Amino acid sequence: MPKQKLHPLPSAAFQILLSLAGEDLHGYGIMRQVADQTNGRIRLGPGTLYSSIQTLLEEKFIEEVDQREDAKLGNERRRYYRLTLAGRKLARSEAERLADLLRVARTKKILRGDYV
Amino acid sequence: MSEKIYALLLRLYPSRFRAEYGEEALQLFRDRARDERGFFPTLRLWLDLLADLAISVPSEYFHAQPAFIVSPVRQHLDGTPSFFLLENESPRLGALLFGSVLSLLAIATVSVLNGHGASYRPLGASVAQSHPNAARSSAFGRLAPQRAADSEQEILASQQPTTAANALIEGDAEPGSSQSSFLLMLRRFGLVKPHALQPRPHSVARAMVESVTLDSAERHRVIDGAIANLKQHYVDPDVARKTADALLAHEKSGDDETATNRPALAYLLTRQIRDVSHDMHLEVVYSQAALPEHPRESTPEDLARYRKAMEQQHCVFEKAEVLPHNIGYLKLNFFPDASVCQSAATAAMASLNRVDAIIFDLRDNMGGFPSMVTLIAGYLFDHPEYMYSPREAPTLQSWTSSPVPGNRLADKPVYVLTSARTISGAEEFCYDLKMLKRATLVGETTRGSAHAGVFHRIDDHFGMGIPEVRPINPYAKTDWEGTGVDPDVKVKAADALETAVKLAQSKLRKK
Repeated sequence: MPKQKLHPLPSAAFQILLSLAGEDLHGYGIMRQVADQTNGRIRLGPGTLYSSIQTLLEEKFIEEVDQREDAKLGNERRRYYRLTLAGRKLARSEAERLADLLRVARTKKILRGDYV
Repeated sequence: MSEKIYALLLRLYPSRFRAEYGEEALQLFRDRARDERGFFPTLRLWLDLLADLAISVPSEYFHAQPAFIVSPVRQHLDGTPSFFLLENESPRLGALLFGSVLSLLAIATVSVLNGHGASYRPLGASVAQSHPNAARSSAFGRLAPQRAADSEQEILASQQPTTAANALIEGDAEPGSSQSSFLLMLRRFGLVKPHALQPRPHSVARAMVESVTLDSAERHRVIDGAIANLKQHYVDPDVARKTADALLAHEKSGDDETATNRPALAYLLTRQIRDVSHDMHLEVVYSQAALPEHPRESTPEDLARYRKAMEQQHCVFEKAEVLPHNIGYLKLNFFPDASVCQSAATAAMASLNRVDAIIFDLRDNMGGFPSMVTLIAGYLFDHPEYMYSPREAPTLQSWTSSPVPGNRLADKPVYVLTSARTISGAEEFCYDLKMLKRATLVGETTRGSAHAGVFHRIDDHFGMGIPEVRPINPYAKTDWEGTGVDPDVKVKAADALETAVKLAQSKLRKK
């Protein structure tokens, strides 16, 4: 049975993809980055975070890079994750879908005056 | 202590999840507990954790699938049955029960269908029976369900909006020769171009049902609406009249009956209108979602929300940095409203003021406001320049406010990176700078959408883009609508930055 967990793309998974667009991060790094990029609106809990990571890994949208220490967070070794090309494409297509929504918002005059 | 409690709570998750991520989850808990001290942060942490448990534990069980271990005998031949073993687990009782019920249901369905096969008629057909075109409509009705399934598979495979539109049209087209010519015609005129208002893949199945019900009364109503809107709003009354006559003639001669679904009708009418008017900015669009009759005017609260969202995202000035050899690089994914984002734009440009060459990366730019296009272009000239926009009649704001005090970029080489996704307002930036010979465009031909028309509603699902003004284009008869802006240096979008950097370096060396 094929997994359809990422279809449609859940918000948490999209946020994780976005958080990894800049640099490789470990789990806690992703959580903080997501909180930053949503102004604290979304704080991913461990369960949601790692189950999303698990699915994204299985579908090869992200990959595990290596285990290393984060100097700022003590000497525990941490798994780092990286966005794959497919993941970048997925994030882009989701962003384009949102852009299309924006365009509809304009035609309905919810957002006015822009080209979008 | 609290870590122990959380470790206990973690036992609620399936064993596979715990084995894989249990330690990581605990580590994340420790990190947060260390960083979020004090009564309220701790309270928030625990509320977060409980909410997280409530959501993710059920979903983990719901999605949990035992891993397959590789089949003992590897079979690579297509069509050969192969076996996979479930790792260490026998199917749960619930799964067995669910499986049996499902099998019984499947058997029951097949036998019922067998018994009633002759009298079975899908929904579309019975609805269409009462219609004058009964014979034809019911043919589509029978055709639709099977084709819908086919098309959906195609879509799942490719995920391309273009394919979605294709499949949609294919799914409803008449079988036989007329189908192929119909499709060819649609393709030839670029009518399968993805559009914001076209249905998206996930809604295709519903669109199928909906679109087979297009009848001649609705067709007539849409054509009438299009004609009325053209006559009332189009900038050139003579052309509006000629176009309206052509639409009527097409309707009379039965040309429009080839459009058997709503998106196809929108495409066909757009083509007919553009054939006569030669105006690429005119279009008829179909929206699957109902268009509101009285669009809500935007309120001060909307504006405040927009302003706040923009400020939070630093007005989407994605990246402003100085690359080696003192080449400035500004990545812009949107041209935000200058009245909201002027200070962010000024700051970004000021941070690049001392570079020797500047690269604007518009490869992911979705368009935006002409006011921001003009504001940024202003830094590239030492005298006011007219920024042509096909959407607005010229005003004082159409000229750049060059020279910008303190600015040193007016005589520096400019490169603009483009891709096939660069669209709308971003194309205005490309087009004007190219026409003014102020920038070298590097990358791919842009998307080719000016969005110059004002949207008018025809009915719940159809609307039109109609240009209400026609600013004179100082450079050519046509702008980039339908064609895009061609780059000066054609390379793949992915290689555009590297190419532009090399071009800039060699230009700077020659100086």
